[in-house]
Amino acid sequence: MKKPDLSKLKNLDYKKLARDFVYGKPAEERRLGDLYQDKTGLYKHREWRGIKDTMAYFNKIWLYNYGMMVADIMKYGGPIVFAKGVWRYRWLGQTYLPVMHWFDRGLEGTRGGVMLASAWHYRGMVNTTIKQFMTMLVADQNLGGDKKKHDHTVAHDETVWGGIFYPYRDHLDNVPLQMVPYFVTCHVNNHVVLNYIDAVQSIGLPGDPCPMCQAEAGLFVADDMPDYYKAVLTSNEACDGSVASSVIQDWMINKPLHAMPQPMQFDDPLVQKHCQKEIEEAWQFVEDQYGIKFNWDTLVKNLEEQNKLQEFEWEKWDVAANTNHYPINGVAQALYRIYQSQYGNSPIWHEVDGHVRKIMEKCVEQKIDTFPLTRHRVIAWSCAPLYYSNWCTWAYNCWGLNTVINMDSLMFDMTIRTDSYEHTLEDMSTYHEWAPMRRMAVGGMHHIFELWDYMEKFNCDMVMMYDQLACKGMQGVHGLFEDEFRARNIHAIWMPHALPDKRVVPRAEIRKIVNDYMFTVMQEEPIDPSLLEFDDSDSW
Amino acid sequence: MRKAGKIAKKVLGGAVAAYAGLFVVFYFDLDGKLLFHVVEPFLKNHYDKMERKDPLSMPYDIIDGDYVK
Repeated sequence: MKKPDLSKLKNLDYKKLARDFVYGKPAEERRLGDLYQDKTGLYKHREWRGIKDTMAYFNKIWLYNYGMMVADIMKYGGPIVFAKGVWRYRWLGQTYLPVMHWFDRGLEGTRGGVMLASAWHYRGMVNTTIKQFMTMLVADQNLGGDKKKHDHTVAHDETVWGGIFYPYRDHLDNVPLQMVPYFVTCHVNNHVVLNYIDAVQSIGLPGDPCPMCQAEAGLFVADDMPDYYKAVLTSNEACDGSVASSVIQDWMINKPLHAMPQPMQFDDPLVQKHCQKEIEEAWQFVEDQYGIKFNWDTLVKNLEEQNKLQEFEWEKWDVAANTNHYPINGVAQALYRIYQSQYGNSPIWHEVDGHVRKIMEKCVEQKIDTFPLTRHRVIAWSCAPLYYSNWCTWAYNCWGLNTVINMDSLMFDMTIRTDSYEHTLEDMSTYHEWAPMRRMAVGGMHHIFELWDYMEKFNCDMVMMYDQLACKGMQGVHGLFEDEFRARNIHAIWMPHALPDKRVVPRAEIRKIVNDYMFTVMQEEPIDPSLLEFDDSDSW
Repeated sequence: MRKAGKIAKKVLGGAVAAYAGLFVVFYFDLDGKLLFHVVEPFLKNHYDKMERKDPLSMPYDIIDGDYVK
């Protein structure tokens, strides 16, 4: 029998081992890539972050959020309704369960305030997601749900701002059609959406329109949408693919439907007037369909609460732009902000902001350098790959690329006046016009080039330029950006992707593009070489 | 009194054991492994076999301003 080699044990630096156990390894020694199992993205074991942060992650994130996921189910409809929904809908069953892995991917390598504040953002999104799908399921006629609730729920495209329904919140639930079945699923489990893209192409929709619109229509083709609403308010999803997919949705929804598209040229005052009229027509449609009255007080109450959320967001941006004490990482910032600003006012956002404020104030007061590995301050522009929204967590850990802010966060940079009906309608109209993909993506050159101002404001020295390969609008301005980057001498990495469809540009390919740029153009070496290449092709 | 103390000890012991067990699940990502290798394949299999409506059988028409049911 071979004798065990005791010399290795003798040579171990026990002091260092003890220090790593108590405080966690220093960043350059972590080798986070070694934690992954090949292909699946599962962890051989979760990261040891030192005693304090590991126990904080275990208690305040993992245990707490698993517990709250159960509590939310109980609160919004109960386990039987939930179980029926899981059994019936693919997007629900395959997405709800791996939620904690979604947290893990976004929070890899984080410590202290960043870990906790970012996790609160995730908690806000999970609560809102559960609230939405439980509202759907309780009223779902496919599952024998409550007909009365069905008749008091309105569905809308996810790019119709939830605030449109504020005047009716006392009597009407509004649930976006695609925010959970499409948008959330892409982030949590990127395999699911492929079923819907393939389904819609199987009936003849060509493969080149935006895969977001394809997937949204595919949900209906695959008969995987709950029937929870009496009527629908749609938009044009602010993009090209929606023309075809809206027709398919209208066909398969087969219910009273009112279209309220976002205009292309929203700077024109005449368009503003037109858009205000469209909002009033949408209100009329809701009142006709549901027999309810416009309530000014409810509208004002919700708008003022939403304004408070915006004011706190401005405080956050101020800290992010001017200090190195901002405790929210790139993926949490992007997803929380777009979710919150598009869904509209909800109690959970205020709760989350309360927790985040405390953490942020502590970081500022104690002058904590929240992202100490930062080599470059990055602004991410245009639409992000939904199947790899946590790329910025990877890029920070691997290269020290700290994504401080992104386009999705900055779209709704406004509060809404409530001092008169005219002012309110005017501001609501502007907010509606600034929809995702319209304000700064396909909303005209003036707006897409707001990048330069924000880059300066947030003290960024690098751009991660998303290149949505199926977005005809953004493809059209590719060359203009190239010229501007050169003229302004800005380091920009083009990140090609096909929004929800990971098959076009896999995550490994995205990492390779960033790696190549950092090695060849920036002439830098990685902070964590174990993250340069790994196979996560089967991972959620 | 002794009996109450014993019960309290047992409850406390059980709670500590459960907490330690959960930590093992957390640390070794056993939740992820169970969901990935067992639960999700089972659910996928179920969804793949489900009978679904044929969307093309639905007429696309509006008669007298009302939607066809």
